Amino acid sequence: MAGLLRKLGPLLALLILCAVLAGASDRFFTADNLFNILRQSSVNTLVSLGQLVVIITAGIDLSVGSILGLCCVLVALLMRSGVPPLFSVIAVITIGTIMGAINGVLLTKLHLPHPFIPTLGMMNVARGLALVISGGFPISELPLGFRLLGAGRIGWIPTPVILVATFCGAFYVFLGRTTVGRDVYAIGGNPQAARLSGVPVDARLILVYALSGLTAAAGAIILAGRMNSGFPLAGVGLELDSIAAVVIGGASFLGGVGTVSGTLAGALIMGVLRNGLNLLNVSAAWQTVVIGIVIVAAVWVDVVRQRAARKRND
Amino acid sequence: MDHSGPLLQAREISKSFSGIRVLDDINFDLRRAEVHALVGENGAGKSTLMNIVSGVVRPDAGEILWDDRPIRLDGPRDAQALGISFVHQELALVPQLSVAENIFLGRHPARFGFVNVGEMYARARRVLKELGCQLDTRQTVAQLSLAERQFVEIARAVAFKSRLIIMDEPTAPLADHDANALFQCIRLLRSQGVSVIYISHRLKEIFAISDRVTVLRDGKHVLTQPTSQVTMEGLVRAMIGAKLKERLASSSAGAIKAEEALSIRGPLNLTVRCGEIVGLAGLAGAGRTELLEWVFGAGEISTRQVFVGGKLVSLRNPVDAIRNGLALVADDRKAKGLVLSASVLDNIALAGGRSRFYIRRSQEKQDAQRWVGSLHIKVAGLDQPIIYLSGGNQQKVVLAKWLYAGARVFLLDEPTRGIDVGAKVEIYDMIRALAENGAAILMASSEVEELMGLADRIIVMHRGRIAGELARTEATEEKIMHLATGAAN
Repeated sequence: MAGLLRKLGPLLALLILCAVLAGASDRFFTADNLFNILRQSSVNTLVSLGQLVVIITAGIDLSVGSILGLCCVLVALLMRSGVPPLFSVIAVITIGTIMGAINGVLLTKLHLPHPFIPTLGMMNVARGLALVISGGFPISELPLGFRLLGAGRIGWIPTPVILVATFCGAFYVFLGRTTVGRDVYAIGGNPQAARLSGVPVDARLILVYALSGLTAAAGAIILAGRMNSGFPLAGVGLELDSIAAVVIGGASFLGGVGTVSGTLAGALIMGVLRNGLNLLNVSAAWQTVVIGIVIVAAVWVDVVRQRAARKRND
Repeated sequence: MDHSGPLLQAREISKSFSGIRVLDDINFDLRRAEVHALVGENGAGKSTLMNIVSGVVRPDAGEILWDDRPIRLDGPRDAQALGISFVHQELALVPQLSVAENIFLGRHPARFGFVNVGEMYARARRVLKELGCQLDTRQTVAQLSLAERQFVEIARAVAFKSRLIIMDEPTAPLADHDANALFQCIRLLRSQGVSVIYISHRLKEIFAISDRVTVLRDGKHVLTQPTSQVTMEGLVRAMIGAKLKERLASSSAGAIKAEEALSIRGPLNLTVRCGEIVGLAGLAGAGRTELLEWVFGAGEISTRQVFVGGKLVSLRNPVDAIRNGLALVADDRKAKGLVLSASVLDNIALAGGRSRFYIRRSQEKQDAQRWVGSLHIKVAGLDQPIIYLSGGNQQKVVLAKWLYAGARVFLLDEPTRGIDVGAKVEIYDMIRALAENGAAILMASSEVEELMGLADRIIVMHRGRIAGELARTEATEEKIMHLATGAAN
């Protein structure tokens, strides 16, 4: 029962939130609006998946927003220079993954004390490069085929939603059903014991940060498609949104704990909140205040639940 | 005040957790200036009783009298105010702060909120001197050895004029001669009128240091006697209700094959054959843990050349070692052996499940269950979080992990540390069974009787070198200690 509550907690919160908002505004529960929410949450959800894997290892990735910005600019630039969209996308995903891997290499080979440091550095480097490459200006008018990725539909489901669903499925299988995924949880739970049990810790950490870079690049593709432009300030603040989604979803900064379903619920809670408050004509500024309160409240609920579970088992 | 009555009396104390009776009508009394040993298997109720005495937990029934007055403890602070201190097994010190700051943690001598640093250091020096300890109060605790940290914890209790100090397994991480310094300290405290309740699994120490001993079993009081009137066998029988000696007696050596399972040439020369149990004895700091971790590839990055199964292999890290069939059961299972945030199944499959990318859950569960069965691990289910298992069962999970991974060479470092007598015996049986099945075992232990009962040969280390080797038939405690202290040089 307790395990079930932990797994479904954030999902339950999401449903309750939806119920409340449906009651508060009759424009909330329409198919159009719901797909809107999914579309608007897609970038954050994607990036949060990468952040989740990093946080499970008791790490943190502050550079995801900046890597997204850089990739956004790069993909637009490549396509404007005549590179076919498919190759541009592949190239940019590769670059994003490599930048993430660089974070991992810096952390493990330079023996930096905490992932805060290399990712903070990368956050600045990537953003700076994005501004340098773009000259500070957005690069617009992207090929139609490419834009479908961010703004199109397959049937009546928006393309980004399908993409995000696929990534969620892939990460779920990765974390829950593969030995590498189990290694990731072990490293977060006890890196020394993991190492002594044969987990190649450095290799796994580099992989984890590379995955985070990959999801940032994927997010950039969707965003560029939706905005029809590669703009250097894309993703500013996204690292904090992704951390918020992961944390609301029940992951622990101490490592070893966290699920894809929780992170998905966390990202959707933030998307639903923003959308709902919009419909209720709450200003963007106040929305930010509400989200801050929700983050603390969500983690506190999890803490209370854990302590109750521990008391029951004593 | 009447100084002839008992200092502490616990009358008809009962406590249940989640419907399970952990303490059943316990009566316990402690005299002034007495060292009173408290023994019993894990789960016997010792920790709960001490938690009640130190105010951490409230009893369901019964009362506690201090100085003949009934008291009510609503929290550890109430107990501390009366002069009851608890030195836990997991030392509660802040490594980054100095010795003096740790001694006065939370209770600094202060005026108007400003800490009186001079007074703090002066009092710290005085307390340490009283305990016969030579530490520099300005050193940070991080620089101290475990034995020295223990002294700081005790100094903490003494600095606050504790009249009762409860010590939980204080010598678990110490080797024999460090323990002697601790005993001196306890005797000193007794001479100053302080009482000590001493919880330990090391029965030899009970005879060395205590005035009276109390045995608990399954939440019930079994006996309280002056230590001079009990025997080791009598104690063990009271604890586990069976004759231990038979079970510890060494069986005749199973067939030791001629093949070498593990061979190290330089910096030390050491060989272990298939089916052989080689013991590694020595004092703290002799280098046993370092040797085992070096073989396993756990130390600093360097390539070691080791012969496994007669073949020369290069081991750069634990991954290489495991691939060659080595296993390391490290000295600290919580820090080095287990992922406490994970389930029993995930811990068992952690080392061996790496051959494929995709986990086959049902197959894994089946294999893991097999080991859980043959090692008699008490679990509510494979998905149970491992943090809820007792120390003995956790250690069995560590062994299961290596069995699951198919290890053939076992490097054991203090395999029965912090484990109660009943589980210890089971682990001895398992180690013997492994050897009988052809595995090679290199086992480091601070408990000499353990080595003498299990090992075919005992290698004694001193300051990073091999001081000597004794066959089972010729090994005695004196000879081992002789070699371990370097007296042979």
